[in-house]
Amino acid sequence: MSIKADILGGGIAAPGIPDWNGLRAVLDGQPPSSACELPRTGLLSPRERRRAPATVRLSFAAAEQACAMADIAPDRPAAVFSSAIGDIDLADYMCRTLAESPQQLSPTRFHNSVHNAAAGYWSIGTGSQVDVTAVSGWWDSAVAGLFEAATRAATGSGPVLLVVYDDCGQGPLTNVWPVRQPFSAALVISAPSTRNRSLAHLALSASNADDGYSDRHPDLPAALLERMADNPAARLLPLLALVAGTGPAAITLAAECGSGLHIEKVRA
Amino acid sequence: MTATCAAGAGLEAVRKSLRAQVSGLRANDFEDCELNTWIGRVDGVERVPIPSSQRDYECRSNRLALLGLEQDEFVARAASLRRRFGAERIACVLGTSTAGIEQSERAYRHPEDSNRFGSRLAHNPHTATRFVAETLGLTGPVLTISTACSSSAKVFASAARLIDAGLADAAVVGGVDSLCLSVLHGFNSLELVSEQPCRPFDRDRNGLSLGEAAGFALLEPEPSSSIGRLLGWGETSDAWHMAAPHPEGRGAIAAMQTALASAGLEPGSVDHINCHGTATPMNDRIEAGALQQVFGTPPPAVSTKAWTGHTLGAAGIVESVFSLLAIADQRIPVSLNCVQPEPDWSDFILRRARSAPVKIVLSNSFGFGGSNCSLLFGAP
Repeated sequence: MSIKADILGGGIAAPGIPDWNGLRAVLDGQPPSSACELPRTGLLSPRERRRAPATVRLSFAAAEQACAMADIAPDRPAAVFSSAIGDIDLADYMCRTLAESPQQLSPTRFHNSVHNAAAGYWSIGTGSQVDVTAVSGWWDSAVAGLFEAATRAATGSGPVLLVVYDDCGQGPLTNVWPVRQPFSAALVISAPSTRNRSLAHLALSASNADDGYSDRHPDLPAALLERMADNPAARLLPLLALVAGTGPAAITLAAECGSGLHIEKVRA
Repeated sequence: MTATCAAGAGLEAVRKSLRAQVSGLRANDFEDCELNTWIGRVDGVERVPIPSSQRDYECRSNRLALLGLEQDEFVARAASLRRRFGAERIACVLGTSTAGIEQSERAYRHPEDSNRFGSRLAHNPHTATRFVAETLGLTGPVLTISTACSSSAKVFASAARLIDAGLADAAVVGGVDSLCLSVLHGFNSLELVSEQPCRPFDRDRNGLSLGEAAGFALLEPEPSSSIGRLLGWGETSDAWHMAAPHPEGRGAIAAMQTALASAGLEPGSVDHINCHGTATPMNDRIEAGALQQVFGTPPPAVSTKAWTGHTLGAAGIVESVFSLLAIADQRIPVSLNCVQPEPDWSDFILRRARSAPVKIVLSNSFGFGGSNCSLLFGAP
């Protein structure tokens, strides 16, 4: 059984791939640009921006682009924030402070260390009172986020914003998180509707490969394959390429544990 | 379903504690933690052996998960579900907040040990979900919800959507959260931890007691027999503050109203409410006000956190189990440790357990980030 879904907008923020046009350029064979700085979000007040953790800037950069492309107010869609590990910088701070001087722990940094920090700041920044959730699937976080977002779009009453992001490693935790480059991407997903101006019509179904664990997709530039091997959030790239590209195509996003997703581009 | 918490491992032990009104809280004796507080530590977690074939999952959270799975024949029940539907048609959706962080806390405290970090499969929010899916042999969608204290309430909604959308036929849902220094010192830094056993809804309440728990339930659309039904849910955001609820309970009210609307129920049809009831002065006041907004005069309402402590990412599943036990046993527990309620809520916070017809129960879970989830359960 498959779910039909429309993609109404997309966004991406990663070193050298600052936005959707940047992604198209790399897909066309150009090397990633030298741009590394993430844009500053306009959704938070200067005070909130100072308090917000690094994952906010990373995830918002892609989320805001996707909402703008979908021409949708950011407080409208239910939102799914998916990340393999959450805030690695704050996890390092927490563990270090607990080892050295636990009584000195900062209350702000503690409450910012929850996995749903980016989701919480999104609700605060946009004023969204609909559900803004946070999920993880470890190395399968792109697939996990797609399961949550696509089923919400299929069973709910409006479009859903999916944001998949993960930061690079810090300090001793590079032992468990050796990721070298941050990556963030977002899609606005909706049940099919003739009113929507969509980038792509998709059919998604659960996939249980019996020949082992491997993604299947048309060839991608080496620069993108490198990101996919480095950061689990970048494992959304075959889908982003499918949405950005023209013509029919099908991909399988495999999962290390549990079902993956088979995704086909279909006619409206 | 099953639950393992400070009040007992497995349903019979939990029922016994409920009937005897014996709290599972103890004076803090968590390793390397000097805080003057009470905790809901689960006995024997340290001694649960992770199978050698799964030693990459070694951490307190997964030992607690395994202890939880061993109760109430849950592994056998999941195996039966697997035989009926096929492993690839069963989703596994669990909630947690701190997952395996305790393993990394330990590694930072012992820099002399070169293997101290253990495996990459322990320090991540998905660790228990993956460990449980592998232990139960489930190969459908495997998903972790991590929205702080609403996490393992939201798993019911996510699993129901996977089934509604046709991506799974049934699901194992639940939550696992183990004690760690991050939450003990973290909540202490926010001045939200009590030096006494927590007293939800009491006028002298002065903070929460932290706890740990693992709980699981099987969810399927048309079972031949069941403990109860998931009638509806509401998931909302406060859009207010990372660590404090909206002062008028805006998100909590919307979550309860959305749950009622999704179930097609009037407020008057709810027989009992299991509150979030953390026992911090502000949270209980705002939740009680929200209940009055939604229900007028609310039905008998309790917090069960004086039995378990606040089990954070596992609170949703533990309190769903308490809610379903109220239906199964036709018995509403006392709101333990509430001796002198505030006058505003003395007429609906229950201070004596009662046998009563219980057909429909509302369970509230509210978390950091302004994440709210209300669940409605009904008799089978």
